[in-house]
Amino acid sequence: MVLVQALVSGILIGGVYALIGIGLTIIFGVMRVINFAHGELMMIGMYLTYFLFTLLHVDPFVSVLITIPIMFAFGAFLQKTVINRILGSLPQNQILLTIGLGLIMSNTVMLAFTSDYKILTTSYSSSSLHIAGISVSQPLAVSFAITVAITAALYWFLMKTDTGQAIRATAQDREAAQLMGINVRRMSILAFGIGASLAGTAGALISPTYYVFPQVGSAFTLKAFVITVLGGMGSVVGATLGGIIIGVVESVGAVTISSDWKDVLVFAIFLVVLLVKPSGLMGKSRM
Amino acid sequence: MRTRLTALIALLCLAVPGVSFAAGKVKLGFVNTITGAEAPIGENLTNGVTMAIEDLKKKGIEVDLVKEDDTGKPEKALSAFEKLATRDDVAGVVGPYTSACANAVASRADQYKVPLLVPVAAKEEITQKGYKFVYRLNAPADVYSSVILDTILALDKPKTIAYVYANTDFGISTVKTAKEYAARVGLKEVADEKYQKGAPDFRSTLSKIKGLSPDLVFMVSYEVDAITLMRQSKEIGLAPKAFLGAGAGFTTAQFLEQKEVSNLVFSSTQWTDDVNWPGAKDFYNRYKAKFGKEPTYHAACAYEAMRIMAETAAANGGDREKTRAGLRSGSWKGIMGDVKFTDYEKFTNQNRHEMLVQQIQAGKYETVSPAKYATKKPVYPFRWK
Repeated sequence: MVLVQALVSGILIGGVYALIGIGLTIIFGVMRVINFAHGELMMIGMYLTYFLFTLLHVDPFVSVLITIPIMFAFGAFLQKTVINRILGSLPQNQILLTIGLGLIMSNTVMLAFTSDYKILTTSYSSSSLHIAGISVSQPLAVSFAITVAITAALYWFLMKTDTGQAIRATAQDREAAQLMGINVRRMSILAFGIGASLAGTAGALISPTYYVFPQVGSAFTLKAFVITVLGGMGSVVGATLGGIIIGVVESVGAVTISSDWKDVLVFAIFLVVLLVKPSGLMGKSRM
Repeated sequence: MRTRLTALIALLCLAVPGVSFAAGKVKLGFVNTITGAEAPIGENLTNGVTMAIEDLKKKGIEVDLVKEDDTGKPEKALSAFEKLATRDDVAGVVGPYTSACANAVASRADQYKVPLLVPVAAKEEITQKGYKFVYRLNAPADVYSSVILDTILALDKPKTIAYVYANTDFGISTVKTAKEYAARVGLKEVADEKYQKGAPDFRSTLSKIKGLSPDLVFMVSYEVDAITLMRQSKEIGLAPKAFLGAGAGFTTAQFLEQKEVSNLVFSSTQWTDDVNWPGAKDFYNRYKAKFGKEPTYHAACAYEAMRIMAETAAANGGDREKTRAGLRSGSWKGIMGDVKFTDYEKFTNQNRHEMLVQQIQAGKYETVSPAKYATKKPVYPFRWK
């Protein structure tokens, strides 16, 4: 029973992890830039949600509708003004740039709102549904449903629409796509915007049960990175799978071994996948 | 401006006859976590020290304070301390906040011969190595656990206990002492769960503990992990006879605000505002007026540590060796009660501070133990609202 409970909790939390991972993977896929400021983008989404809730009394789950466009605009702006300039440069320069962006974001937020933990208290923050003896966290269940909806919509967008196909083409081969008349700069802006809004959404979804502070991002950046590499860099399905795997491994590992060991387990699986399939679960080797 | 200030001080001296001012200027260091994940509690220490400096000024002691940020990392704390000792040439250092940082810095205090007053770090080891220059104001980790278990043992005969705690120096050393104490009083351990600080999901761990139905759940957490743990305990339906929190995250105003999950939780603390130590209530009121929030025990500890260090250093003209001797021989009375650094059991230069146990009742922290400081009777057993 405890194991089933752990499995359910793991899948639910894994959904949110997946959302963070998908954002990172899209950005990497299209631009070959590893966005180390991804957690900070999520943090900004959390602050947006927090202030929408406390000042305007918008429910965190409804506020996703506001967070998505704002974060999209913010991401697009970052891409246009900063990231675009380093697309062709050395990977270490790109890493330094995104880490720098992340530091600027977290320290600006700290300057503006201090390092105090902000806690969102909704009427359902600690409520749960009981189904056949298993307790399902109500806020997590709702966020999982939203995650599934967003992922499905995104998948449809990437597979079926012209713009989506153009984004995928850019991801496959930037130069060839350009030769085919695709505006790759615009696709990059779109991709970063989508990535940022996904990170922001993940922040919004996790805030009713978690808490907000300027440094919250770093832990999630690492997690997003592991998820993305595990699933295969650039693969949306891979990131979804990776997120759920990490969530389940953490949760089941905490029950069967010890909560102290769950990170060891996560990274052990990560290493095994890298050894057996270096390009990740769903990744295609491009080398 | 300066002449006016001097005149003002002179006037004050005349106005309050019989008060001798240990006047002087003294340069001190303060190592604290100003940024990083521990920054929110660090802010309490900063505010406490800021108030101490103001109060010292009123007494005629001008403190030239050099603040250093350790970001919660021992290696940064160490280099900050080395800078204070060699470049800034301070008379003494107050800090660092966390156990890991304080422990690292303590190991070098003797080498640089700089008096170090640890305000609030709990790891026992810090004052167990026989360092001559290391002093600690707060009670060490063993008291966090014994004081709270004693409170429960006075009410009931619980049989089993489960531990959930952060994988930090503070968490590990507090639980280690709790286990020793629990073994002595015959409490059976049913679960021992360490977790990574800041984890978003404790549900699986908590449901495992629920399956073992312990009488007591003992938790050691920083900041908001305490809230996450309690929220998810409620979600899972974990309901022991008592939730025991050792200081830190269970003693903050934010924890109190979470009325739905924080009610009836016991916690051990170094300080409360309703205790009858001289100036405690006044400190609470002034702090709240100045910073717009309630002080935690960290603020009170930092305030008192800075006051003691500055007064001792000023009285000894900023000489390091004399300041150390002054800390060793002196005794103080203030918002932390009586302070005297002594050697006992395995400790050296350790203040035998009396810890308090508080319980959240009807949205307020009430001191419930020891009896002589209690404002309310403890409510037992625990039940969800």
